[in-house]
Amino acid sequence: MKKSTMKMLALLLLAAMMLAAFTACGSNEAPSTSSVPPAETTEKPAADNAEAEPVTINFWHHYSAQSAENETLMNVLIPRFEEENPGIKVNAVSHEWADLHDKILISAQSNTLPDVARLDIAWVPEFQKMGILTALDEEMADFDSVTADLLDSAMSTGFVAGHYYAMALNTNTKILFYNEKALEEAGVAVPATMDEFVKAVAAVSGKNGAGQTVWGLNEPALAGWNVLPYIWSNGGEITNEDNTKASGYINSEKTIAAVQMLADMAKSGELSGYNSGDIPMTDGFGTGRYIFLLEGPWKTAELAGAYPDMVYGNCQLPAGEAGSISVLGGEDIAMFNGANKDAAWKFMQFMTSPFAEEEMAKCGQIPVNKTALESETVKNASFAPFLEAITTAKARPAVASWSEIDNELTIAMTKILVEGAPVKETLDALAVTIDGLLA
Amino acid sequence: MKSRKRRWSLALRYILLLLGGAVSVMPMIYMLSTSLRPNGALYEFPPHFFPKLGEITLENYRYIFAQEKFYLNFLNSVIVAVITIVLAAVIATALAYCLARFEFPGKKLLFALVIGMMIIPGTTLIIPQFQLASFFGITNSLAGLIPFYVAWVIPFSTFMIKSYIEGIPREFDEAAYADGGSVFTVFFRIILPLASPAIASVSIFNFLTAWEEFTWAMTVINDNAIRTLPIAISGFFGQHQFTQWGYVFAMSVASLVPVLIVFILCQKYFVSGLQAGGLKG
Amino acid sequence: MMLRSGRNKAQFAALLVPGIVVFALFTVYPIVKLFVMSFLRWDLGSMFQKSFAGLENYKAVLSDETFFVAFENTLLYTLVTVPGQMALGLLAAVLIHSIPRFRVTFRVIYYIPVITSWVIVSLVFRYIFNTEGMLNYFLCNVLHLTKDYVPWLNTRWGGLTVAMLLGIWKGVGWNLVVFLAALQSVPAELYEAADVDGCSGWKKFWYITLPSIRPTILFALVMLTIGGFNVFTSIKMITDGKPMHQTDTVLTWMYYKAFSTGEFGYAAALSFIVAVTLMALAFLQFRAMKRQNC
Repeated sequence: MKKSTMKMLALLLLAAMMLAAFTACGSNEAPSTSSVPPAETTEKPAADNAEAEPVTINFWHHYSAQSAENETLMNVLIPRFEEENPGIKVNAVSHEWADLHDKILISAQSNTLPDVARLDIAWVPEFQKMGILTALDEEMADFDSVTADLLDSAMSTGFVAGHYYAMALNTNTKILFYNEKALEEAGVAVPATMDEFVKAVAAVSGKNGAGQTVWGLNEPALAGWNVLPYIWSNGGEITNEDNTKASGYINSEKTIAAVQMLADMAKSGELSGYNSGDIPMTDGFGTGRYIFLLEGPWKTAELAGAYPDMVYGNCQLPAGEAGSISVLGGEDIAMFNGANKDAAWKFMQFMTSPFAEEEMAKCGQIPVNKTALESETVKNASFAPFLEAITTAKARPAVASWSEIDNELTIAMTKILVEGAPVKETLDALAVTIDGLLA
Repeated sequence: MKSRKRRWSLALRYILLLLGGAVSVMPMIYMLSTSLRPNGALYEFPPHFFPKLGEITLENYRYIFAQEKFYLNFLNSVIVAVITIVLAAVIATALAYCLARFEFPGKKLLFALVIGMMIIPGTTLIIPQFQLASFFGITNSLAGLIPFYVAWVIPFSTFMIKSYIEGIPREFDEAAYADGGSVFTVFFRIILPLASPAIASVSIFNFLTAWEEFTWAMTVINDNAIRTLPIAISGFFGQHQFTQWGYVFAMSVASLVPVLIVFILCQKYFVSGLQAGGLKG
Repeated sequence: MMLRSGRNKAQFAALLVPGIVVFALFTVYPIVKLFVMSFLRWDLGSMFQKSFAGLENYKAVLSDETFFVAFENTLLYTLVTVPGQMALGLLAAVLIHSIPRFRVTFRVIYYIPVITSWVIVSLVFRYIFNTEGMLNYFLCNVLHLTKDYVPWLNTRWGGLTVAMLLGIWKGVGWNLVVFLAALQSVPAELYEAADVDGCSGWKKFWYITLPSIRPTILFALVMLTIGGFNVFTSIKMITDGKPMHQTDTVLTWMYYKAFSTGEFGYAAALSFIVAVTLMALAFLQFRAMKRQNC
């Protein structure tokens, strides 16, 4: 390459950059990000007081950055809240689901926690144990009246060690998504029982016209969230009812049978998606490489965005011996110690209000607010089948060591499904490990 | 006879070099080609290395450039990289000059620290450094990145610049002192100009380091508006849902441009500084 | 040189102090702190009441199977990628040194992977090595070298192979530039003398080139060994330790323990062990350099 050519090339690139930089300066309006000092005022706030001293509260969540929920949050909810509460600004920060958990751990070390966060219901006991969450029923005088409108079953996810450390924000569960065309071509009916399901998965697996592998069932990971519906529906358990013991439950005959069923599917090339090199779930489903998914209400909006031409159907998780028992998911909204309590509390009330819950329902977030649940939006929403599944769904054990238990469960399931480890021996060993974590 | 053999041997060398060059750039070309394709085309069968003519689209770039966040991330990376290289160049050159030209108590220890810090992986210190950042209240800000980047690049910079300064004849210093010059005179008038090739080449490496740093930025930065490009790019990459490779690679290509500019403009310094280090290492 | 005048002493101090402050604050203090932390009982349950744990954390690290898996992975990565990139870099340097034209062009092309950030190249490799990716299609459907798609990223050795290939691919350019500079500084008279004696190309390479660039080889060896132990981003982006932490390296495992499970005491002890190991290794290499008189 000639020297002059190189110089020219560099100049061209430089010009392109300058252009970009100028545009950037025009729109450079970084929000104030300094963490809010802990509020000293335990006395009542009063609206006029708030106007004098503008505060910014930090709100962390895991609505994914490119999702409709995030759009609603940023463009509808927060502007409305800020309009209703002059003097309070909300700085919303989006993290990936797993990152959010880690980020909260890290920030707890450095006293840089946000004021409010949307937490997976499975995390609440862990963070409570760390001592970073605010007991809402103790600190907030109007707690009872504020939460009266929220579903009791959902509120129970925030109840740890005798106090409410979080408010229910939304709920969800997983149901079956299937590729209609693929089922038709294979001549398979929509499965209603676990036995039919196993046969259907086998029937649609194989190669497609282009010679590509098609997997009947996708699971994007092997954590409790993924495997528990199959275990529970087959009558298996992970722990006893008080969550004090796993031996005899996670390695009971029925749990072993359910895990064996998944292991057999994996072995015969009918189940995939949890390996690093696999096609991501949505892409695989959208392009006809995965036929069945067990997924939550958000998948509807996601598919509409990424694969609008895809024709698919929904049905309940096929019933096993114990019925159709899916896993209860959902998020709570919680306040951290050191938050600006008044502003944070206002924001939490707003996020669980009928208005916010209804707006979020439009993007597939199932409300926990009774008023919002009665609204037309919800009645006409695409998540009606999910509402039915929720009535039979079960929650993961609400224990502080759940994250660790979940890790161990994932490792054991990977050993079985990926490395072909014997089911019974692996689960026996897992039972001992989990017993230790529960003790 | 001999000349024909030589010609064949030369041709063979070019062929080998071309093959190696192809392997070097192929992944980058594939990245560029993927960034010019619509998302739906990514899982087509059979896959194509180059996009089909009809399907080439700037959609991914349009999406990236329409996001205000992208410019903020870009600007953050520029600010961090520029301040880092300036601070590091000043501090490291001064330190290198002291180590190369003066005797003082603790000099051996200081040099041992310089060497030691080149060896210890920065990531191993991440927990105490994070506490330090928290103590100063600079987490979640660009100020939380710069001092640590400066601290990380200083050992190598000092080491390289020191070897280079040692190659500058001391007679120059002595002549300046004889003319009544001070330590500053020697530093600013003699050492700085003469050592500038070494400073330039370490600065380029420091620029690359700051521009691409990932682990620390991922740990201390939360807000979208304060993220630097590497974390912004990795944030686009979803684990299990659906990865919009087109967006990921469009953003990657955009973040590569400044690096290419620096590389092309400063090409000769990539060599000269390393040469000094290589010989005196 | 000695400083006599007060003005010169002040100026000298002004030049020295900023560097010392940076080292003291961002290096010495964190190292001491890390050492102290490695003796503390400090995890999720005891986040705000740390207590002295003695050697507990070190015992935990040294009896942790995953740590040894991670250590093995890191060692393997270093043992494969360091000689790999050095050999290929030297080969490319020798070839480029011996051609009359397009030297700069080749140097630029080979250097592009070096200047591209780890995050980007890791994602590109992940995309290429996807089970359904371009490479498998090429190997299986075009060349028919493999019967089925190779699940590169799904297994321990597959994931490590991809990370090592990436390490070598990205590192060749740096080695090329370093070695090319060294080759250019070998005095031409040496080769001329060898020509007179009728030495073959191989002999010249073995008896003249290699000994002349030995300092550079050792320099590269030390720098690359350090780099090998630093491997983090590529693993994090390509496999994130999957499956079951089988592809973790010491640093990704340390990061996971600290920031995902909150076992800070454990992570501190692990960090300290890694730092000491690497110091010892580098010390040996430096000693070797000294003995070689360079």
